Amino acid sequence: MADISVFIEVDDGVLNDISLQCLGAARALADGGVVRCLAAGAGASGIAADLFARGADEVKVFDDSRAAAYTTKPYAKAVIAWLNEAPPAVALFGATTIGNDLAPSVAARLKTPCVLSADGVEAADGGYVARRVEFDRKVQTAYAPEKEGLFIVSLHDGAAETPAADASRTGEAVPLSVELDDSDFAARVLKRDVAKKTVNLKDAKIIVAAGAGVGNAEGLAVVQQLADALGAEVGATRAVVDAGWLAADHQIGQTGATVRPDLYIACGISGAVQHRVGMLDARKIIAINTDANAPIFKVAHYQVVGDLKVVIPKLIKVLAA
Amino acid sequence: MSVDTMVIVREVWDTRDLVGQVLDDTGNIKADAVGTRFEPEDLNALEMALRLKDAQGGKVTAISAGEPRGVDVLREALYRGVDAVVRVNADPLALDDQALAEAYAGAIRELGSQGLILIGTTVLDGENSLLGAHLAAALDAEQVSWVDELEEATPERAVARRAIEMGTETVEVPLPAVLSVGVALLEDDPRSPRSAKAMLKLKMKKVDIPAHEAPAIEAVTKTAGRAAVPERVIETRAVDAESEAELKSMLDEARKGD
Ligand SMILES: Cc1cc2nc3c(=O)[nH]c(=O)nc-3n(C[C@H](O)[C@H](O)[C@H](O)COP(=O)(O)OP(=O)(O)OC[C@H]3O[C@@H](n4cnc5c(N)ncnc54)[C@H](O)[C@@H]3O)c2cc1C
Ligand SMILES: Nc1ncnc2c1ncn2[C@@H]1O[C@H](COP(=O)(O)O)[C@@H](O)[C@H]1O
Repeated sequence: MADISVFIEVDDGVLNDISLQCLGAARALADGGVVRCLAAGAGASGIAADLFARGADEVKVFDDSRAAAYTTKPYAKAVIAWLNEAPPAVALFGATTIGNDLAPSVAARLKTPCVLSADGVEAADGGYVARRVEFDRKVQTAYAPEKEGLFIVSLHDGAAETPAADASRTGEAVPLSVELDDSDFAARVLKRDVAKKTVNLKDAKIIVAAGAGVGNAEGLAVVQQLADALGAEVGATRAVVDAGWLAADHQIGQTGATVRPDLYIACGISGAVQHRVGMLDARKIIAINTDANAPIFKVAHYQVVGDLKVVIPKLIKVLAA
Repeated sequence: MSVDTMVIVREVWDTRDLVGQVLDDTGNIKADAVGTRFEPEDLNALEMALRLKDAQGGKVTAISAGEPRGVDVLREALYRGVDAVVRVNADPLALDDQALAEAYAGAIRELGSQGLILIGTTVLDGENSLLGAHLAAALDAEQVSWVDELEEATPERAVARRAIEMGTETVEVPLPAVLSVGVALLEDDPRSPRSAKAMLKLKMKKVDIPAHEAPAIEAVTKTAGRAAVPERVIETRAVDAESEAELKSMLDEARKGD
């Protein structure tokens, strides 16, 4: 039995899904102990009821109008104040661009052990270990604290299940008390350019994903036609998003979505590990690539060596037949 | 109005498309099976610093911890055009990022930086933690992670664009600040690889690399064990791209549940 604390990311009143997975992991890890949440960000108080329903015992809210956009110092200060109120055994963060910036900053200031982007954390030998798959997914490493006390871990997307809501669980959220002064806000977010979510990759049964191999907008259109023919969503590699061919919400992989569709069709994708980690668990994978040695073929059930601009129209044709 | 920049450069395991066993019998990484490379995001950070120097002057210092294993990142940095290099006497393989950050922070304090400190955000092998975040905390400096572009740098402040989940953010920070650089900047290496002859010359050239003694630092996190991940076994099938019949049966099969 142990107390576990969870940092919950809220953006404009919307709860981050990875934060909920962390809450699920915390409930299991606590084993009867207290699970505390800090809901942080604009509109954070609005999601407290959901947190209680999904397993939180206590909820504190950090919603300072000066910190509506994330910068490290005020958030680190707030989290440290919160952790000091009731020191837990483990503090969990989502391995997002905020979580992985914040968790080590807090750990370094508290001089406490920290492991990022873990696949899981569990009790072992009276302490804890965090596990992570590394080295091109060939090695699983267990990390453990060298000293007693707080262990800070960030969990990546998919490390735990999102807990179901239980409406009978309720509670009262309390604002976090933390003193912040102007010097904490020396860093300022001048501009934010964030795409509205237009695709729902996580729930898609079929995903047709475009890689740099599409070459241009025409190549992309071919991929899109296949997706239409299959009733599928369109995914992308980072190369495609960086090229500006598709918006960031299409990205699959380490810094994009982690997906588990029934069918994943990779078109012109080399299969870099940062992409593979986001799609490896698809039930069936078809890869279309001109290069027979592309690493994507190592994870594909069906290997189609060929030019996507030739192969895809054929696929569309046989689908229509 | 030039800004002095320090860049952390690291030699890391080259974990791209590994074949065969990576671990030896004792559960350690097999050096001959993996090899090392210049941390690609650190290379980005270095490029960012050199572009800033090209545009507005200022001194660039590259700092690295530990003895070279395969790639001498400090010599490489010199070749690419930094003004000075410093080696920190600390073993990156034996320390976690929090302890390493203390070692780097010691060197940076001694060198007296008030400017920009650049580093790659994540280390591709494991990303066990983010050195930049630990370093910023150790220096009590501002930090921005996943920086793709430095839009402005003066002795007082930096404006950087960083990648976030669904887009970008432009952040202004007062200096000193640690900017952790992401992957976007370097698509192709603009300071292209050189001939074997030039490499040899670089290797032979006598350069004095000053060493910074790090105080005894203790790691707070340890590796408790490594195990090989069982190879993912899937049934793969080559499908003839020319054959519509094969493509059709592939689609039919892949779309029905098994
Ligand atoms: C920290 C970090 C995080 C990252 N996060 C992500 C992430 O979340 N998601 C992600 O996807 N990437 C990510 N990346 C980038 C990743 O490393 C790769 O660079 C990227 O996935 C490559 O995209 P690609 O396969 O589309 O392009 P490429 O690697 O350029 O591959 C293009 C492929 O298309 C093939 N091809 C070319 N023409 C044709 C044709 N006519 N028909 C068929 N095939 C063709 C080529 O043979 C080649 O294999 C990340 C990188 C880093 C360092
Ligand atoms: N020269 C270096 N300077 C600082 N940190 C390093 C260096 N080399 C490796 N590291 C760190 O040590 C960890 C293990 O290194 P490696 O096994 O070389 O990838 C990496 O995750 C890095 O954070």
